[in-house]
Amino acid sequence: MLWYKAWLETRPRFLICLIGITALCSFAVYHGDHQALSYTGADYYRYVLLSGHAMLCESWVLAVTLLMMGGLLREKVAGASSFTLALPVSRRRLMAVRIGVGLLQAFALAIVPWSVMFFIGSVAGKTHSITQAAFCLALLLGGGLLFFALALLISSLVEGEYTAPVVSFGIVIAIAVLFSDRALRVYSPLAFITGFAYLDRHTWLLTGPVPWLHLATYLLLAAALTAVSVKVIEWRQF
Amino acid sequence: MTESAVIETNDLSKSYGGVRAVCGLNLSVPPSCITAFLGLNGAGKSTTVKMLLGMIEPSSGEGRVLGSPIGDPAQSVALRRRVAYVSENKRLYDYMTVEQIIRFTRSFYPDWRAEVERDFLHAYELPPDRKIKKLSKGMRTKLALLLAFARRPELLILDEPSEGLDPVGIEQLLESLVSRCAEGTSIFFSSHQIPEVERIADHICMLDKGRLVIDAAMDDLRQSYRQIDLVFPSVPDEREFRMAGVESIRTKGHQMRVFASRNAETVMERARSFYPSSVEVSPVGLRDIFLETIKEN
Repeated sequence: MLWYKAWLETRPRFLICLIGITALCSFAVYHGDHQALSYTGADYYRYVLLSGHAMLCESWVLAVTLLMMGGLLREKVAGASSFTLALPVSRRRLMAVRIGVGLLQAFALAIVPWSVMFFIGSVAGKTHSITQAAFCLALLLGGGLLFFALALLISSLVEGEYTAPVVSFGIVIAIAVLFSDRALRVYSPLAFITGFAYLDRHTWLLTGPVPWLHLATYLLLAAALTAVSVKVIEWRQF
Repeated sequence: MTESAVIETNDLSKSYGGVRAVCGLNLSVPPSCITAFLGLNGAGKSTTVKMLLGMIEPSSGEGRVLGSPIGDPAQSVALRRRVAYVSENKRLYDYMTVEQIIRFTRSFYPDWRAEVERDFLHAYELPPDRKIKKLSKGMRTKLALLLAFARRPELLILDEPSEGLDPVGIEQLLESLVSRCAEGTSIFFSSHQIPEVERIADHICMLDKGRLVIDAAMDDLRQSYRQIDLVFPSVPDEREFRMAGVESIRTKGHQMRVFASRNAETVMERARSFYPSSVEVSPVGLRDIFLETIKEN
């Protein structure tokens, strides 16, 4: 039933984000043709799908940051943490369920909009390669989990219903600004998930092998931040 | 259940920075009875309860609840199956409905009592499909009590359980507490409502500035505490009455009022040696014991 609680807690935010992102990306794919055609000679559907993916990446990072705001610290502010902590459940399990539900939602927020974009492209006669879509998703979910873990850590450290989201969004913006410099762009997690580093500007396709090493590095970082978050909650006094 | 204390603490202390919220608490709560935990706001009651439930770590000292050490996270989960707790603010999950939170809580306790749930829903007129955020404070309190009472805990810990309840709700609560105690559940509750405490409590623990100042059976308090009003033609020095058990002495004109926690007979004997024109001994209510004890500390 902890899954049920975590789902009820995040359901409105999740559904709003899912519908919003899907609608936004679908709109970009369906109506972006004319804009794309006007200034690029590339296969416009690829351009559009990649634009859709870039939009998805930005919205996904913001949505996941918003979704991970919650948990025991937010309940402490709302006054409900005493009820949760009196349940016969360890804090580690509470965190595990929260992370599990968050991961499922994060995956859904990436896979559903991509599937809809793919479907709309196909219906409009703009068939896209499934391997390209899988490449984009692998980059988004592999690198994006760093933002997921970052939001989880901040929600475990920073008290206040509005303080934690403000700090989290601030850090996302800071990362975007800090790594926008050309010299640092190669390390940018945002540049990584959008896939621009692997984009062939002539074919408008993601090229080369899947960057497993980079993916593994981001996943390890995310795992480390998640482990720290769990420890923080276990140590924290309520 | 064994006859050993359900809650036992040994020099339990908690400090926040330089502020000592609880100092060297040695508490012993007897089983199968109703124990009231009294004290002013900020006396350390909620901090003590949170330490007992493992929500906060003691700065020093140790404690046991139902025989399990309070600092052990592994045992803490098992312990929480045997202890029901209603917090001071009675906040629950605003995003759930009454029915959803009952279903959620029920899932953790296989011995959930459906008949108690039904009775409380009916008696408290709780609307099952209403969101918790739309409930009044009184309704939230009733729901929190339902969630605690529908279980079969060995120990019920309640922090200000009657806060926000109307007189009918308070009456229902007191009846429920007495009947649960009769079934063998130990009850430990904090309250500022002295008349309620006086009606149902078997044992009193009083905290002041983080220190335990009274730990006694209600009957013993009733029997031992006395207010002795004396009138003297010539009032003796107060120091003549400073003896074991005398908590306070007040002199006004020819009158002297001695507040004794024990040894009232000795005080009267001493008073007679000063030839009082009037001696009046009266029993003391819990309210006066509380006020005098707090004042003296």
